[in-house]
Amino acid sequence: MAQPSIVIDKISKRYRLGGFERGYRTLRDALTGKKKREANELWALRDVSLEVERGEALGLIGHNGAGKSTLLKILSRITEPSSGQAMLYGRVASLLEVGTGFHPELTGRENIFLNGAILGMTRAEIRRDFDAIVAFAEIDRFLDTPVKRYSSGMYVRLAFAVAAHLTPEILLIDEVLSVGDAEFQRRCLGRMNEVARSGRTVVFVSHNLASIESLCPRAVLLSRGEIARSGPTREVVAHYLSRRSKAAMVDLRAADRDGEGLARLTGIEVLSADGAEAIDQLLFRQPFRARLHYEVSARISGASFGFGLLTSNGQRVFISESFEQGRTFDLDPGAGSVDCIIENPNIVPAVYRFELWISDIPGVQATDHLVSIGEIEVTPGEQTSGTGIATLTSGVRGVVFVDTRWSEAR
Amino acid sequence: MSAEAPSHTPVLVIRPSLGWRALDLREVWTYRELLGIFVWRDLKVRYRQTILGALWIVGQPLISMIIFTLLFNRVAHFQAEGGAPYPVFVLSGLLVWNLVSNSINRAGNSLIGSSFLISKVYFPRLIIPLSNVLTEIVDFGVAALLLVAMMVWYRTLPGITILLLPVAVLIACMMALGVGLWIAALNVEYRDIRVAVPFVLQLGMYVTPIVYPLTAIPERYRWLAALNPMTGIAQTFRASLLRLPVPTTALAWSAAAAILLLVSGGYYFRRMERRFADIL
Repeated sequence: MAQPSIVIDKISKRYRLGGFERGYRTLRDALTGKKKREANELWALRDVSLEVERGEALGLIGHNGAGKSTLLKILSRITEPSSGQAMLYGRVASLLEVGTGFHPELTGRENIFLNGAILGMTRAEIRRDFDAIVAFAEIDRFLDTPVKRYSSGMYVRLAFAVAAHLTPEILLIDEVLSVGDAEFQRRCLGRMNEVARSGRTVVFVSHNLASIESLCPRAVLLSRGEIARSGPTREVVAHYLSRRSKAAMVDLRAADRDGEGLARLTGIEVLSADGAEAIDQLLFRQPFRARLHYEVSARISGASFGFGLLTSNGQRVFISESFEQGRTFDLDPGAGSVDCIIENPNIVPAVYRFELWISDIPGVQATDHLVSIGEIEVTPGEQTSGTGIATLTSGVRGVVFVDTRWSEAR
Repeated sequence: MSAEAPSHTPVLVIRPSLGWRALDLREVWTYRELLGIFVWRDLKVRYRQTILGALWIVGQPLISMIIFTLLFNRVAHFQAEGGAPYPVFVLSGLLVWNLVSNSINRAGNSLIGSSFLISKVYFPRLIIPLSNVLTEIVDFGVAALLLVAMMVWYRTLPGITILLLPVAVLIACMMALGVGLWIAALNVEYRDIRVAVPFVLQLGMYVTPIVYPLTAIPERYRWLAALNPMTGIAQTFRASLLRLPVPTTALAWSAAAAILLLVSGGYYFRRMERRFADIL
C-alpha cells in the first residue's frame, strides 16, 4: 500500500546559453534590436520520471552538472520545468543552502525567526521549537549577538539547527551536510536519520556517498540530465564509482589558446597520485597527478611544461613550471605526455580550472598557453574533520588552507 | 503537524506555465507572515545600524525643505497656495514625493538585491517589492512627525479634508508599487534600467509641483502638469493638510492611473516571475 509522495512525470529543463556570458540583456541591446548570438541550448534535465513513496529517503547522486540541483530547484518551485510535470503530495520544504537569508546585522535570536520564516515555518512553529533550536546550535550565550560576530562554526551550527527543525511532509536537501566539524556533522546526520524515520519523505543530494548510503535505502544516479540508474543505494553507488574512474580526459584541441604552435597541448587528465586511476573529483588535500598530453610538429629540445590552477573567477592559485624544478624535456615530433604531481594541494573545497603551457625557450616564451580550461572540483572529504572547512564559506575562506595551531601566549 | 495528508489529490502540481498568469493574491496572503518578517528585518536593520539612519529619515526632508524654501520662496518669491507657510507647503510635498520615489527605487532594485533568496527558496516573489513599499510607509510615518511639528510651530491646523489624507497616501502607495513592479521585473532582464531610474525620478520631482506651487506653472502649460498623475497625488495630499480646495479631477485621474499601473505591473511581474531564478 505504498502511497506516492512525489510523482515526477517526464520533467525536462532547458536552459538557453546565450552568446552573452550574462543571463540578462541591456535595454540598449533590446532597443537596437541586437539579438543574442545563436542561442545554444542545454538540457539540464531530459524526460526525468521518478516516483518517491511516502516516508522514503531517496538519494540523488551524479557528477556536477548532471541535473541534481536543477531537479531539486524544480521540485522546490524555484524554477519551472520546460516541460513535464511533478505532483507533490504534502507540504514541501527545501533546504538548498543552510542559512539562507541570514542577515549579518541581526542577532542569533532574530535570525532564527527570519531564517525559519524564509524556510517556511510559521511564527508559532518557530516559537515552539525555539529552545530546541538554540540547544541544538549550542549558541545560547550568543543569542543576542549579531551573527556577523559569530565564528563560521557557530554560524553554520545555528543555520543548520533552524533547518533541522523543519517539519514538512516532504523535505528536499541539497548538499548541506558537508558543513561544520565532524562532531556536528554526526549530529546532523543523526537528526536527518530521525527525520527520515519519522515518516517524512526526504530527497537528498550529496557528494558524500557515505552519508547517502547511511541515510537512503534507494538512490538515483543522474547523468547529463537523465536517469542513468536507479535502485538500492549500494548498487547505484557502486555503478557510479565504476563509471567515475573512467572519467574522460579533457580534450584541448579546440580550446582558445595563445602561442605560435610548434607544440600543442591536446589534453589534460587528472589522475590519482600514483597514476593508477583517473579521477574527476579530488578530496580536500588529496595529492594528484596532472597528465598533460601534447603534439609536436618538429623536434624541441629543452622544453618546459607549466601547470597551474585558477579559481572559477580566474584568480591564480598556484603555478608550477618544470624547468624551475630543474626538469626539461626533449620532445620528438609526434604525440606524448608528461606528468606533474601535486603533492600537497592545500586548497579549500571549490571548483578550480587549469592553466597549462609548453615553452620551447623556458622562461621566455610559451609555444602554447591555455588559461582557464577544464575544471576539477575539490570536495570536502573525511579529511576536513577538525579543520572547520565548510563548503558554505569556501568563498569567504580564501583559497589556501594553512595548518595553524593556537595556544595561549606565555 | 499532521502527518495525515490527503492521499490522492496532490497538494502541489508543478508544470510549465505559459503566457499571462493570475496574480494569485491568495498565495501572497498565505505568505503574509514572511512579508511581515521582511518588513521587520528591513526596519530593524535600518533603525539599528545607525542612529544617524533614523535621523537621516527626518534630516533629509528637513534640509531639503530649508533649501527649497530659501530658493523658491525667498529668492524666486513663489507663494504657497492658500497662503500656507511655505516651509510646511514644501515639506508636505516632499514627504509624499519621497514616499513614492523611495518606494519605486527600492522596489525596483529589490529583486536583484534579493537574488540570493530567489535562487534558493520559493515564496511568491511579489512580497519582495511589496515589503519594500511597506517599509517605506513606516519611514514616511517617521518623517511625518517632522511635518506635525512644523504645523504645530506655524499653527496651521488641517480641516475636515484631513479625511482625504489616507486616500492620498493609499493612491501614492499603489502608484509606487505599480511602477516599482514594472521596474523590478524589467530590471532583472535589462540591467541598465537601474541607472536610469534615480535620474528619471529626480527629474520627476522638478516637473511635478512639489517644491513650487502649481500656480507657478503658466496657465497654458497646466494641462501638461495635470497629465502627470503625481500632480493629483501631491495636490490632494496638500489639500488634506492645508485646507485647500480638493482637486477632484486630478485626484480621479491619479487614482485611475495608479490602479492601471498597479494592475498592469502586477501582471507583468507575474509573467516575468518564472524567469527570475534562471536569469538572476
